[in-house]
Amino acid sequence: MDPIIAIIISVSLCLITVFFCYRYVKKTFDDVDYVLDSILAKKTDISLKTMEDSRLSKLGHKALRIAEMNIMDVSQIKHEKEIIQSFISDMSHQMKTPLSSVTMYTDLVLEGRITEDERQEFLYRIKKGTEKLQWMMDSLVKMSRLEVGAIELNPVPAGIKQTISESVSDVYAASVKKNISIETTYFDDIMLLHDRKWTREAIANVLENAIKYSSIGGEVNISIEKLPIYTKINITDHGIGIFSDEWNSVFKRFYRGRNAKGIDGAGLGLYLASLILEKQGGYILVDSRPGQYTTFSMFLQNCKK
Amino acid sequence: MVILKTEALKKYYGKEPNVVKALDGVDLEVQEGEFVAVVGTSGSGKSTLLHMLGGLDKPTDGKVIVGGKDISGMTDEQLTIFRRRNVGFVFQSYNLVPILNVYENIVLPIELDGNTVDQDYVENIIETLGLSEKKNHLPNNLSGGQQQRVAIARALATKPSILLADEPTGNLDTKSSQDVLGVLKMTSTKFHQTIVMITHNEQIAQLADRIIRIEDGKIVTMEGWI
Repeated sequence: MDPIIAIIISVSLCLITVFFCYRYVKKTFDDVDYVLDSILAKKTDISLKTMEDSRLSKLGHKALRIAEMNIMDVSQIKHEKEIIQSFISDMSHQMKTPLSSVTMYTDLVLEGRITEDERQEFLYRIKKGTEKLQWMMDSLVKMSRLEVGAIELNPVPAGIKQTISESVSDVYAASVKKNISIETTYFDDIMLLHDRKWTREAIANVLENAIKYSSIGGEVNISIEKLPIYTKINITDHGIGIFSDEWNSVFKRFYRGRNAKGIDGAGLGLYLASLILEKQGGYILVDSRPGQYTTFSMFLQNCKK
Repeated sequence: MVILKTEALKKYYGKEPNVVKALDGVDLEVQEGEFVAVVGTSGSGKSTLLHMLGGLDKPTDGKVIVGGKDISGMTDEQLTIFRRRNVGFVFQSYNLVPILNVYENIVLPIELDGNTVDQDYVENIIETLGLSEKKNHLPNNLSGGQQQRVAIARALATKPSILLADEPTGNLDTKSSQDVLGVLKMTSTKFHQTIVMITHNEQIAQLADRIIRIEDGKIVTMEGWI
């Protein structure tokens, strides 16, 4: 009798173990299945106990992150669409003014009932308007290419001295026109990670800005300062200045300072400059005291040894 | 996508009639990948706000929703796990473990959660933050700026949903501050990291995509675009 009872007991024990194993495996599979279903249904409110210290909870947490990433991708695309839309409306708004003045003066000249002086004046204004449109078009093309990543910046170790002097030569004509001297504090050339063509453009934009908001006969200073990771290029002017609550905004697309309304501009130069620096792992800061000075500091990465 | 959201968030300290309203109804939304600066004077409630966002403290009333999950009702134990998996913290003090070297400090939170280290990702962070040569150094042999960069690397290593920084340059001189700031900015663009940074300094705040100003426990302005 005894061996039979023993066999029965062991067989039933085996069956019970198998039953519980089956239950456990089934439950785990059901949970995993549930998580995957939730991901497919794009739900992030997975009610698995994701806040426990268990293996299943960790799995649930990771599944949740995957679902979130999916949703993020979709909303990212939506967000980009919105950016493009707002961009187009901003842009058309900016172009309207010079375009309508060109149209108006052209009509007046075509009508012909004007004096020679007026005719000269109107033609001059038409020229100004088209120049502004041309400049805006150029900036917009650059901007859109940079934004969508159609242009990849290629930061390589290169001497910053040459880049700065190229930028200065870009704005030389504008500075001469306003009798503004550009002074550079002496520095030893430093190798910095930057894309020369684009960095030249960024520095020139900031210089142009400094010249535009300085009074005639003013001075613009350039100096270099080395930090552990970055090297900064400071450009200081003594023009109208920027209020501290606008320091963040001046680098936004199409933003114009409160006290810059009387001066011609599109709000693109500084935006483009900050975009260019950001694309190469650098950044730009401003410090200003209205009526006294404005310093833009451009940070570029030092070469890694 | 909104990664972080508060609804009518309140935090009161003390009892009537001496109630201090540190936060008095804050409604806030932060988009995924955004770099937001919260600016306010001392006592404005900005640090209290950060503690609520990171699940370090529980609100008196209102909700904090991180990645679609309401954390205001969680137990302490749940909050601990939530923080470990979702939030990276950078404080004014660096809080590095002095007996561990730089690399060990950085991967510590990953190992605490029992996960394997994503070597490539961690190396990328270390490289980005300019710490490649300091990997085997002990924290005490580093400058303040370097220690803070290690703290940032540690906060990033777990790939958190949000990075919360409370006066990250508060203990640093201007030069180191600008370095640390640049690194934060690079992090937000390169790793598409959502960052909420608390500061009283306009110079530092200007680098953010958006500035939120807080006074007497209330948001006064939200600037910036989109």
